[in-house]
Amino acid sequence: MPPTTDFTFPTYHQSYPPFYTLQPNHQTLTSQLRKWSRLIQRYARHHSLFKLSLPATIDSPLFKNVSLKKRLSLQDATKVLDWMCTDEGGRRAEKIVEGGGGGGGGGGAGVYWIWWKRPEEWGEEIVGWVERTGQKGVVLTLYELTAGEGSRGEEFWGMDGEVLRRALAGLVRKGRAQVFGGEGEEGVKFF
Amino acid sequence: MFFQPLDLTTALRPSLLPEETLLFVQDAVGLYEGKFKLPNHQNGHAYLTSHRVCYVDNLEPRKHSIAVDLKNVERYEFYAGFLKSSAKVTLYPKAAKPSLIPTRNPSTFSNSHIAGSPSRSANASPIHGGRSPFLSAGSGRSTPRPSNATWICTICSFSNPVPSNFDTATATPNMSIPPCLSCGIKPTFPQLLKAAIANAAGRKTSQPSSQEPEQSLLEDQDQFNVESNGDYADSPTNNPSALLRKSRFQCPRCTFLNYPSLLTCELCGGPLSAESKAAEVLGEDLRRPESPGPTLDGFSSGLNSDTECVKLSFRAGGEKIFHERLKGAMVQRKWLLQSAPPVPDSYQSFGSGQGHVVDSDGSVRPQTERARTVGIAGLERQGLELRKKNEVVIGSAFEDLDALMASAKEIIALAESFAKKSDDGSTEANQLIAESAKALDMVTTKDMLGSSSGSESLYLSEMSRNLAEYLTDDAKGILRKEGGIMSLVDLWAVFNRARGGVELISPMEFEKAARLWEKLKLPIRLRQFKNGLLVVQQADRTDDKTIAQLLAWLQELHHFPPSDDVNWDYERFGRGITAQEAAQRFGWSVGVASEELEMAEEKGVFCREEGVEGLRFWENWIVSDHDGEEEGDDGISVEPVRTIPDMELVQRNLEEMGLV
Repeated sequence: MPPTTDFTFPTYHQSYPPFYTLQPNHQTLTSQLRKWSRLIQRYARHHSLFKLSLPATIDSPLFKNVSLKKRLSLQDATKVLDWMCTDEGGRRAEKIVEGGGGGGGGGGAGVYWIWWKRPEEWGEEIVGWVERTGQKGVVLTLYELTAGEGSRGEEFWGMDGEVLRRALAGLVRKGRAQVFGGEGEEGVKFF
Repeated sequence: MFFQPLDLTTALRPSLLPEETLLFVQDAVGLYEGKFKLPNHQNGHAYLTSHRVCYVDNLEPRKHSIAVDLKNVERYEFYAGFLKSSAKVTLYPKAAKPSLIPTRNPSTFSNSHIAGSPSRSANASPIHGGRSPFLSAGSGRSTPRPSNATWICTICSFSNPVPSNFDTATATPNMSIPPCLSCGIKPTFPQLLKAAIANAAGRKTSQPSSQEPEQSLLEDQDQFNVESNGDYADSPTNNPSALLRKSRFQCPRCTFLNYPSLLTCELCGGPLSAESKAAEVLGEDLRRPESPGPTLDGFSSGLNSDTECVKLSFRAGGEKIFHERLKGAMVQRKWLLQSAPPVPDSYQSFGSGQGHVVDSDGSVRPQTERARTVGIAGLERQGLELRKKNEVVIGSAFEDLDALMASAKEIIALAESFAKKSDDGSTEANQLIAESAKALDMVTTKDMLGSSSGSESLYLSEMSRNLAEYLTDDAKGILRKEGGIMSLVDLWAVFNRARGGVELISPMEFEKAARLWEKLKLPIRLRQFKNGLLVVQQADRTDDKTIAQLLAWLQELHHFPPSDDVNWDYERFGRGITAQEAAQRFGWSVGVASEELEMAEEKGVFCREEGVEGLRFWENWIVSDHDGEEEGDDGISVEPVRTIPDMELVQRNLEEMGLV
């Protein structure tokens, strides 16, 4: 996990104990989940996290407030992330199923993609970068995109390969890109 | 008029006078006056009490409720109904005409005569007391009587008074003219008019016409003033003839006015017994002008005639029992008891034996002189006497049932005092037992209600009112003791205990009755908590009020740092409260407090914090969006995804399947 030094938590996270108890009132709960979802997305973005493993992060400052002696329990955190997976939650998370979805990265139960940008949004981001840098029609390798010198500083730099593949799949479907090559050495061309 | 205003209790039932008991209740009753329906009095409850017949309107009970005193009822009739016409009970008022009043039983008379004014003032009708010119001697005499005018009979040359309501301005030849008091021949109209005009010319003051409605009932009778009966000597009227006339006594046979000292009539020789004089006076007593009640516009003049009557139309049955009970009430005439002397206390009641000391010479000395003994002996004697007195009261009460009825009041008072004495620790339960006797006379029992189809609902609604009265009774303060809120089960237990083991209410009926409060717009409401607990509350204590109360408290807490060191911004978020704290603060039970807090949470005003110290409730800052400024618009969206059209969804799924 990257250090969490300069991430600023919102005040309700810092000094409002009820925030750590999921509310029984439906309306309040919706509001609360939305706040958590927002917080998790900001947190993930700040730390360039694409996958969140609950067992690994449940003791991180995201879910645990030492000064308040409060924490979001694993069960409740699962609820929050499950809610983020729903349409109502904006599909900002996606559960990584064991054995599917790209395999690696923690795996097991309680691992989620955190879509602080959804794959289609990532696609737009990449297309935007390609257009800005005049690389339309140029074949780029996936490595170039996520780890190359040219894209350093972009948000998708260091992106998980699985996420990139899904983002590109979206573009391919829309006919704005084409993926060549086989496993591990794919190239992509943007139109 | 016949109708009296009616005071209602908080539960919109007639408030009973002391001693008055409820006999019967029937719903769906309409009122008629004479032959005409009284507007706004067509759908209500009829309450028969030992003293009155009350009508309480269903729609506007405070406005359109009236009562008829049974003591003003001359007779009543029963009409069984025919085809579409509902069954009716007709009440005829006591007419002002003495001729209609049967000769009274002298003892009855003497009661009501002697205690006449007190009983009237005890009537609880403010209109009744002040209005009557007969009652207040001063005001009565200050207005010149119309009877000062006289006309001379052409047949017998007797000097007759002009009827009081004979106004020269409005009189017509068609109106009925009373005959000569001496020979019984009617004068001609011009003759009367002439006499009246002559009199009016002689006196500058004209008669106030406002007296007409009240006086009209007396029109064909001689004016006979009660006030002049005993104390005519100080009458300010200087007209000798009026004075003379006033002091006279009318012969019951020929209506000739005799001198009061005569025993036989001067004219016809008939006996002028004290009894008939008494009846005379009583008649006067009762023909006192009534307070004007509601009348039908346009019919009021006709209603002053002797055809006036009040009909209760029973549209949903119940008339038979009503009639029965009315019959009973008219026979019992409980209102006479009101002015009856109290049960004689011991000293007189056991006469020579105990109450009085018979001296050696046989003279009876009053008891009080003997009680001079002081010191412990005196105290002991006092105690002894008290015990003996109680013994006698109880003993005589149980001698036979009538006596028990007569001394019921005393017995109840005794029972109460015993109950209080038996345990001076006076727990709540003991108080309730003491009150139970009192409560007995206010309960609605099933046999008070009609057995018509709607009787079940009537029973429930009556009980519902009954309960509301019981709860809002300030003297008992049942709700107040419980902090303004009480569970229905507790209330059921207390209420049944108050009934003293008689006519107990089943829980099911009790709940049904309680559920009627809202419908009947009573000041009590039934509330169901989330966990199903039913509680009873004052109707004005709504959830919103409770929430406002709680919120105000929480906002206060923003300004006071919590006792233990806090690591949050209490000035911004305040702090959480537990149910115990709320219970302490507002005097609720903990269960009620936690229910109230959860209610507030359910409304989204509060939110909870579950922690090791238990459940705390906080102001709800989660819903409010005041934290937006900290996060800024960083492109992170939490908005729900717009629903995707089916085609696109299918395509997407296919896509993902192909990819994975």
